[in-house]
Amino acid sequence: MAPLLKVDDLATYFYTQGGVVKAVDGISYEVARGETIALMGESGCGKTISALSILRLLPASQVKIVAGQVLFDGVDLLKASKKEMRKVRGGNISMIFQEPMTSLNPVLTIGRQISEVLELHQNMKRRETVQEVIRLLNLVGIPQAERRMRDYPHHFSGGMRQRVMIAIAISCRPKLIIADEPTTAVDVTIQAQLLELLRGITRELNTSLILITHNLGIVARYAQRIYVMYAGRIVEHGPAQDVYRYPGHPYTAGLLASVPRLDEPRKTRLTPVEGQPPDPLYPPPGCPFQPRCTYGVPQCQRSKGDFVEVTSGHYSSCCLAQNGVTPWEKT
Amino acid sequence: MLKYIIKRILWIIPVLLAVAFITFSLMHLVPGGPWDRDKQLAPQVVENLNHKYGLDKPFVVQFKDFLWNTVHGNLGVSYSYQDRGVTNILLEGLPKTATLGIIAFILAILIGIPLGMVAALKQNSAVDYASVLFSTIFASIPGFVLGILLMIVFSVELHWLPTGGWGGIKQIIMPAFALAAMSAAYIARITRASMLEVMHQDYIRTARAKGLSERVILFRHALRNALIPVTTVAGPELAFLVSGSFIIENLFSIPGIGRLFVQGIFARDYGLVMGAILFYALAVALVNLIVDTLYAVVDPRIRYE
Amino acid sequence: MAVVASTSQPHHTLWGDAFIRLRRNRLAIAGGIVILLIGLGAIFVPLISPYGYAKQDLDAILQGPSWGHPLGTDALGRDVLTRLFYGARISLAVGLFAQAIVLAIGLPVGAFSAWVGGRVDNIIMRLVDVMYAFPDILLIILLRAILGGTIYMMFLAIGLVAWVNVARLSRGQILSLKQQDFVTAARAMGASGRYITLRHLLPNSLGPIIVAVTFNVPRAIFAEAALSYIGIGINPPTPSWGNMIRDGYDVIFAAPYLMIFPAIAIGILMLAFTFLGDGLRDALDPRLRR
Repeated sequence: MAPLLKVDDLATYFYTQGGVVKAVDGISYEVARGETIALMGESGCGKTISALSILRLLPASQVKIVAGQVLFDGVDLLKASKKEMRKVRGGNISMIFQEPMTSLNPVLTIGRQISEVLELHQNMKRRETVQEVIRLLNLVGIPQAERRMRDYPHHFSGGMRQRVMIAIAISCRPKLIIADEPTTAVDVTIQAQLLELLRGITRELNTSLILITHNLGIVARYAQRIYVMYAGRIVEHGPAQDVYRYPGHPYTAGLLASVPRLDEPRKTRLTPVEGQPPDPLYPPPGCPFQPRCTYGVPQCQRSKGDFVEVTSGHYSSCCLAQNGVTPWEKT
Repeated sequence: MLKYIIKRILWIIPVLLAVAFITFSLMHLVPGGPWDRDKQLAPQVVENLNHKYGLDKPFVVQFKDFLWNTVHGNLGVSYSYQDRGVTNILLEGLPKTATLGIIAFILAILIGIPLGMVAALKQNSAVDYASVLFSTIFASIPGFVLGILLMIVFSVELHWLPTGGWGGIKQIIMPAFALAAMSAAYIARITRASMLEVMHQDYIRTARAKGLSERVILFRHALRNALIPVTTVAGPELAFLVSGSFIIENLFSIPGIGRLFVQGIFARDYGLVMGAILFYALAVALVNLIVDTLYAVVDPRIRYE
Repeated sequence: MAVVASTSQPHHTLWGDAFIRLRRNRLAIAGGIVILLIGLGAIFVPLISPYGYAKQDLDAILQGPSWGHPLGTDALGRDVLTRLFYGARISLAVGLFAQAIVLAIGLPVGAFSAWVGGRVDNIIMRLVDVMYAFPDILLIILLRAILGGTIYMMFLAIGLVAWVNVARLSRGQILSLKQQDFVTAARAMGASGRYITLRHLLPNSLGPIIVAVTFNVPRAIFAEAALSYIGIGINPPTPSWGNMIRDGYDVIFAAPYLMIFPAIAIGILMLAFTFLGDGLRDALDPRLRR
């Protein structure tokens, strides 16, 4: 069965005064219907930009999508007209952003911000939306929905605002939700609640979910497949369990090693990944991770990032893995 | 909200009191007296006149009497126009000054806000540069300089408009524009800057992600937020218009309160001057109150004290 | 073979940075040059011009621009260009020196109010509110009526009204700086309030105050011109641009240029100071520092 979303060789570049920044440099991923995938990587690796590219929400002046295809239900979104994109946004694909404090309009009631999506995509009249808004607010766990729909965003805490964002996102029963670091700006306890909420809703409505995050714990628990991004490229992807158990790329291995684990003795030292991500204006030749990699060989500088299957359905772009060598394995 | 308004209204009273006191004291420090004319009056006559109008009573008593009368709506007697009360004279001038001020304000808003908005939406285009140039230049040229230039072009050279007076559109158009220009330019600048900032906010991106059209985003999401700083400056701008109007009135010979005030100073007409200043102070205070209330309406974040 | 992105920059001071940025702002430089030229003209006009400002030549009244009189003559035969530069003296002097009074009153009042806080602060701010309730031109007129029409009294009249602006600003600055850690550190080392205010707080608040003063200058210039125009400004025959406009109004149909030249002069000088002020504000804005 064809995937719901297929991003194919997407490239998005920034044109700055200092030069061209290849924020997204030829990435491909896909999401099946009802599936939750995680797009993982550290800050600045391009995961958010790739998501914004799908919906074409990039600030037009300095950023351009230069190559690739985004096939949603078979239709290439990058070639769609502005009118068609507006139908897709909010209706078929909705997005949840990272910053709950600034993502809602301070001068409109939250009820209004939810109802306007319903009016737009479901063709409802203002009066008709009231009941639906209350239902949605109840669904996302906001008490006293009838009273609170007339409140303004500044009356809500960060966690509550994210729930409102989720309500907006699911209101028109989209086929795909893109959640860009939805819990990063929120307390840990709220994080768990929000993610459980998302999981429950996506299961119930069979919605696909792209979870963008840098938090390994979240990925393990909520995603079926994961894509690991580094410096604008995907370096590894596969079923979540497999990637965690048998990381096929030194970067992934490094990330896993730097996180404390419950099943290891407390005194185990954490090994961080040394170094910094490359300067986006002057990327190194070949594999982008190679300057920081402890296993580098001369071949890495000529690597073109082709994928090799490490285990079933699990691919890595490391040239060592291509030769069947995985020196970073512990488990 | 209501409490806030009432508190503000109550606050106006002591402020006006202080204004009245300061003005009263200053007026009495002005050298000369209300009876100075080209021809010196006999001392006995002066003394009688002073007695008749209570000007020989002690200062504090005079002030007390003045306050008492004012509260009853009687602003006293004008020393230069002895047959008419000050209240009367001011009321005659009031409609002209008020009309001029209001029309100028409406002009300033109708020109300034759209200009600023268009400039922001079409950033770095020809329209934007033209608008920035216009607002920078006109924001620094005082109203009466512009008034003079307008007068010379349209009255002296082209003979299209009269050089002054009061009566209809022809008389009011130049003074209104001269008065409005500086404010319009300033409002355009603020609107543009504010609009630019708003359009880069996260909630606009959220609105786009919902699939709303650019028009809806502009008018439902962006506009109200962008107008918040404009509302903040509306108060001081209106107050500026109120005080600026009196110079324009002199330039275009408009028989409003501004002219009366100037004449009153020259004639040491205490009554008239006091009345005029109190009028202006009250106008400014009320304007600020209205604007602050409006601000609370526009921005729900500051509604609760 | 680690490639580490380098982000360190050469260290600049606030003033050094600001000066560099100001230099790049062409409008501000243009404004500065205009002010300089007008200023030099105003200072040296007695040496350069063959006419005095009061020299009447009744055979040559109301003449348009010519070689002898580049900007023409007025109703008493006086040379307009000369009078214009003498008027510039008044405008520049009033504009700049009134600020001395503004700073002398406004800075200490604001700083004191902010540092002491509490009741004293409240009372002083109420007084400031009352002053704000006056439309400023009217109060200046009243003061001028009391103080008289010499130029020094003009400084005083304008300064006594305009200080509230700077007082509010300096209070705001000091209030926000007061909370910061370096103040607590200074206190912990035993510094007195006065010492902290003078040596730490005021120097740090200078930026916005400088900008405010630069914007105050055109307002003072305008106030003097407006008063002179109405007839209660600088006493004649000393030329002030406002005076000249007033005189020009009487012969507006015969010689409109008599009103135009001083009006444009006011506009240009005010514009120059505004551009300069804009440039200073952008240059000193800490948010734009890199």
